[in-house]
Amino acid sequence: MYIRIVIILCVLLASCSSNEKEPVIKTVLPDVMLESKKIDFIAGDSISITFKTDSSFEKLKLQVKNAYGSTLLTPKTINENKINFLVPKNYSRLAGPCRWQLLHDTEIVLKGVINITTNDIHQTHIESYFGPRSISAGPIDFSMLTVAPTDIYDNPLNDGTEVTVKYQFQEKINELKITTKSFFAWYNVNSTTKSGRILVTSECNSTTSKELATIVFPANATDFSINATSAHNFADGNQIITFKSDIIRDQFGNIVSNGTLVTFVIKNENDAYLYTIGTTLNGIAEAKTLHPDKASKWEIQAFITGAAESNTTNFDFKPAIHDYPVLFSKGNRNIDIGPFESFMKQLIPDGLLVQLDIYDADGKFIQSEKTTTKNGICNIFLGAHYLPEGNYILKLQAAGIKKEFRINIHGN
Amino acid sequence: MLYFPTMKTIKKTNTLLILALIVGIAFHGSAIFFTLEYTYDALIHLFFADHYASSWFDPWEYRWYTGFTVQSYPPLVHQLIGILSYIGGLKFGMYTVGLLAIVLFITGVYRYTLLMTGSRRIAGYGAVLAVFSSTFVETLHIFGQLPSVSALSILLHAMTEIYLYIKTGKTRYFITSASMLAVTVTSHHVTPLFGMVFFIAPLMGMTVMDAAREKVASYKKLSFKVFWSSTLQHFWRIAKFGGTAIFLLVFCIFPYWYNSKRNPITQVAIPHGSRDNFLEVTSSGLVFFVIPWGVFLFVLPYFFYRYFSKRYLFFGLSFTLLTILGTGGSTPIPRLMLGEMAFNILTLDRFTLWATIMALPIFAEFAFRMVEGDLKALIQARFGGVYHRVLGGLIAGGLLFMVLFTMTLGYFRPSQPAKIKMLPIVNFLGADSHDSWRYLPLGFGDQMAWLSAQTNAMTVDGNYHSARRLPELTTRAIERIENSKFRGVEGIGSLQQFLTVPEKYNLKYIFSNDKFYDPILYYCGWQRLQQLENGIMVWEKLNVAPIPQILPKQDVPTIMKLMWGLIPLSTVLIAIFINIQMIWVRLLKSKKTEEHSFMKLALPYNKFSNKLLIFSHWWALLMLVILGYGIFLFYVKNEEQLSPNNVVESYYDALDFKEFSRAHSYLDPENNIDIAQYMLEVSVTDGILSSYAKLDSLNIEIYDVTKTSAKAKVATTWITPLENVFNNDYHELVKRNGKWYIEPSKVDNDIPPDQLFTANGTTYYNHGRRKITTQETYHEDVLKQPVLEILSAKLVKFKGQYSIIGELQNVDDTPADVVIKATLYNDQNKELANYNAKHHIKHKLMPKETTTFKINFEGIAWSSTKDTLPPTFNPDEFTPVSFEEQPTKFNLQSAGNTANTDLYKHLALQDLEYTEQGFNGVLFNSGVQEVTIPQLIISYYNKDHELLWVDHKFVTSGVRIQRKQFFNYQPLDLDSLSIINSSLKNCFVNGLPNESIAEKMFPNRNSVHGLKQTQPFKGKGYEYIKFELNSYIGNPK
Repeated sequence: MYIRIVIILCVLLASCSSNEKEPVIKTVLPDVMLESKKIDFIAGDSISITFKTDSSFEKLKLQVKNAYGSTLLTPKTINENKINFLVPKNYSRLAGPCRWQLLHDTEIVLKGVINITTNDIHQTHIESYFGPRSISAGPIDFSMLTVAPTDIYDNPLNDGTEVTVKYQFQEKINELKITTKSFFAWYNVNSTTKSGRILVTSECNSTTSKELATIVFPANATDFSINATSAHNFADGNQIITFKSDIIRDQFGNIVSNGTLVTFVIKNENDAYLYTIGTTLNGIAEAKTLHPDKASKWEIQAFITGAAESNTTNFDFKPAIHDYPVLFSKGNRNIDIGPFESFMKQLIPDGLLVQLDIYDADGKFIQSEKTTTKNGICNIFLGAHYLPEGNYILKLQAAGIKKEFRINIHGN
Repeated sequence: MLYFPTMKTIKKTNTLLILALIVGIAFHGSAIFFTLEYTYDALIHLFFADHYASSWFDPWEYRWYTGFTVQSYPPLVHQLIGILSYIGGLKFGMYTVGLLAIVLFITGVYRYTLLMTGSRRIAGYGAVLAVFSSTFVETLHIFGQLPSVSALSILLHAMTEIYLYIKTGKTRYFITSASMLAVTVTSHHVTPLFGMVFFIAPLMGMTVMDAAREKVASYKKLSFKVFWSSTLQHFWRIAKFGGTAIFLLVFCIFPYWYNSKRNPITQVAIPHGSRDNFLEVTSSGLVFFVIPWGVFLFVLPYFFYRYFSKRYLFFGLSFTLLTILGTGGSTPIPRLMLGEMAFNILTLDRFTLWATIMALPIFAEFAFRMVEGDLKALIQARFGGVYHRVLGGLIAGGLLFMVLFTMTLGYFRPSQPAKIKMLPIVNFLGADSHDSWRYLPLGFGDQMAWLSAQTNAMTVDGNYHSARRLPELTTRAIERIENSKFRGVEGIGSLQQFLTVPEKYNLKYIFSNDKFYDPILYYCGWQRLQQLENGIMVWEKLNVAPIPQILPKQDVPTIMKLMWGLIPLSTVLIAIFINIQMIWVRLLKSKKTEEHSFMKLALPYNKFSNKLLIFSHWWALLMLVILGYGIFLFYVKNEEQLSPNNVVESYYDALDFKEFSRAHSYLDPENNIDIAQYMLEVSVTDGILSSYAKLDSLNIEIYDVTKTSAKAKVATTWITPLENVFNNDYHELVKRNGKWYIEPSKVDNDIPPDQLFTANGTTYYNHGRRKITTQETYHEDVLKQPVLEILSAKLVKFKGQYSIIGELQNVDDTPADVVIKATLYNDQNKELANYNAKHHIKHKLMPKETTTFKINFEGIAWSSTKDTLPPTFNPDEFTPVSFEEQPTKFNLQSAGNTANTDLYKHLALQDLEYTEQGFNGVLFNSGVQEVTIPQLIISYYNKDHELLWVDHKFVTSGVRIQRKQFFNYQPLDLDSLSIINSSLKNCFVNGLPNESIAEKMFPNRNSVHGLKQTQPFKGKGYEYIKFELNSYIGNPK
């Protein structure tokens, strides 16, 4: 068995070594001549390259290479020592130099270039872009129209092709001519001082492009004025106060875009900064908030942050409630507060916040109880699980009126 | 029990087996159509089957987990379904394989029982009992483990052949047993692996024992010496078969092992109910212990008695082991036996499954003896005929009850969300190139697999966690992101990472079947796109690039693909070819076959042990007592108004599940709050607590108890998708007519001044594309990205954590959706981390609106396994990136996209006051949409009015239309904050430098405006503070 393997191995080795000794045969290149002399074509023309050869043409291949890519062609027609290669449409439709190499196996026999030019005889196509799609009113901003006229095979037309640009804004239509450079033409349509819509189109070799548009948005807002209105100026914590701006415009007199955010900042008498937000509709921003539930002095100023601000307007709320009774019962655990009477002695609308802060006898805060009034009154019960028996300081606060009680809580 | 006249037949058709098959197919076969699709696993197998149906040889599956290999699960069952799907669709394939599994299981148990008892009569009993085995019902109809059931059934079939080979040494039996084992291996890898230990090893032991028994006159004379010589005699056969089995296990699914080696499972242990302490987690105890064992629990002593007889000794050992391992975490033994590692990887319910299947022949023997054998005679003699019938009736009744109970478990306690119509989703994904992005289903349960099977679109989620590769998932003990709310910290944490940085996974669409996730989606910057006909809400994220054309793929050698594609079905064909003659002979009785040797070992069953009977009675009594006590505990715990504690618990439970009429029934009837009023009051409260919270823990402290009253302090922890909410509530309780009630609490009485409100505003609509085309959107239909301007940006370090804070403005004239991403670099310009702004930003800005933002750098949580998992749930849990180097520079990339939804800005700050308890403020909703979850974004500034820090607070109650809501906010202490870098140099908007935008859009910016909108407040480390408001609207109208 082993002997057999050894023999086989020896034979294999011998055969390997004998291969190395084999002499290299040099291939002889065939004698080939270019038959077709035309080197300038128009895109879309049928291009065929013919060669004359006296020897075997079986191994001849034509490699064509242009912007589309590179491919190997086999001879198409054979006629008395003539071979012919037909360049495929994909290649012949693309403008630009098209290089070819005639190959015999891997050896280059002949090579050359044919020039394919843009097909401007037939219809012109226009590819056009316009952007950005929206710009700001004023002298700075612009949208750029870019036009690339092409032939039917999508080859760009030669530089210097004339393109007519038209743009419309309101009643005015402008028309001008530009020429292509590096295969395309461009034009900057400047923004207008009026907001609106600019439509553009372009034309080349009597082919027109589609309609493109940019929107001229108003520029940044300028300072504006505001006012505050309400049904009454009592601090009842129920009515709604409305802040309204006049029509907000930019420096060119355009009404600012709908939806522009306006912040109405309210500074009250305690220097607390409150706010409410409105968005503009036809330039007017409106925002609402609730009346305070205690006498207050509000200073209101509105902002379009970074761009514009308003005047400061004041709104003073008069107290709606001047006083309220408090009644303790059930070992001072039950506290009845109210009735709360408003500015016409009417019971206040439901929902007035009543807050009770509970402190121990040494003035240490324990906790807060909040409730709201119903039918003008409210009740707080301090269950034994909240407060064990003892002395407490109760600070009651409602409608801005503070009351303090030192009481002894007892019983259940 | 079934009574049949005793038949002394050996070669007649076994009527009990036929009966079992008919009943089994009729019962299970019709039931699977109502159960299988609601099981945990069946749809996963369907998804795998769909993979094979569309690409049989290519194991790479792109649709789950950004790609995984199906060579991570044995393919036979999936391939069978896949092949059958060509006839009648995937579900047809699944049901056909289901029916096959049922037949194989019943016949398998028959043959296994026959082998064990040597009695065709008892084997018939075994077949009938197999039909009504609660463990089988559970595995098939609740778990949907088709591969496991199929593999086990074939293993049972193989056992007879293995026995015969070892006994006789005939090549015929070697081939049949090996062919069947190969089928088992290709169906399920774990079954043969453990089957070798728990079934085949004791079987070999029994075979040797039988051979030894033949050498001596009786079992009594069978000594260890005889057994040992017998073992030596059979050693080579055992070794040959064992070696073959191992070879088959490795060879038949070699690509599986190859893949396991190449992609070791890095998944951290995912909690499984079968590892729980069944006494603590009673639901797991029910599902993984009580249901599979069922009536068997009462007969346990008999099982042990029989299995520890000499012939079955090895089975006895195996049975004991399985029983103990199946108890999960109830005892420390399984953990000690398996070791910490294996204990946390294996699902231990399989041990119980095998134990109960192993017990079936003995139970069949018991049934036989009870129905027509010596046990019947003994009981009748001792206790009388009536007792025997009653006892038989009870056992049969118990068996049937367990089957019905198990079968209907999914009906009464659905483990899956209601069936979702997938067609609208499939159509949505198919339309308008929506499948060029990944999607994520939320709240779909295991039905997500069925959705995946029907579409080519890909998801980041998946339902086979062993195959996961994304570290975001493998480091979390979650099954799926889809049901992350059930998985606490890891779940929501993992989900939030996907939601915050969706562009990393090309994740653009979310199908939400669970309102719970809506707030987190909104606050992570997602927007509602549309509601599909099936009620599923589609959420969308802007500024996410589509999936690249070429996706990474882990290729395997062609040989692996061929092995995987060809071997499994070949094993089936070979097995059928080899066994066809045998099946033919056995079914049609066409030929007289020689009686197998084990048939001679049938026992006469003439004397049932008296002692065993007595012991069994005591045992059964003990079981009944335990059962009764369990029911009693259940009653005491669940009887709603039995104690103050119960009524509070029930009340919160009712609120949690939104069963308001039940909640109302716990309120003190003397308060005369009628149900209509109560429902009205409850229904008007909206907010994160009442609409999006899940009660996590309830700590009830009852005090001041008198005979008729008590007080309760209830500390609740609520899980919300955004953060944990801790609440303390106080209730007064009263007892009336023996029942405890809760005193109703106060409601807000606030009423708005008007009945009717009007509101004007600008609304927006984005066409998407105006031209209906399947091509790329036309250039003129591409909306311009709104221009943003970054007003300030800083890298700060606070409490050891790096954050980027800043402020930006929408300087365009259209509303913008804002995405902002920050990257940190060190001094050597080495990138250290990047992340997006999560919820410290207003994602939707109106023209000229500003927002402050904060970007935290979140790492992949618990990526180092040393970190211990926090025991409690906290969705807001944050794992900061651990930086090896000091970040010193940053880059900000922000992008605006035209927004047309979620632009509600009518929330006003109506009052603000600083007290000792912090800021007390009032929000007022001046618009006409109800704000479900208001968010405060609080920014801090120094004396030069430079931004220092951004904080947030979610207000737990919503703000109703034209009403106010109170909030409290504790300002922070910023003394330890340090600013590392403050620069607008590397800030970009829509890819353009921020600086050029500022020059062009806002050349004359008035920087005083910011100052005039902030609150002067002397705090620790800052001078000014600003409150911004962001509102989530749950139900936009």
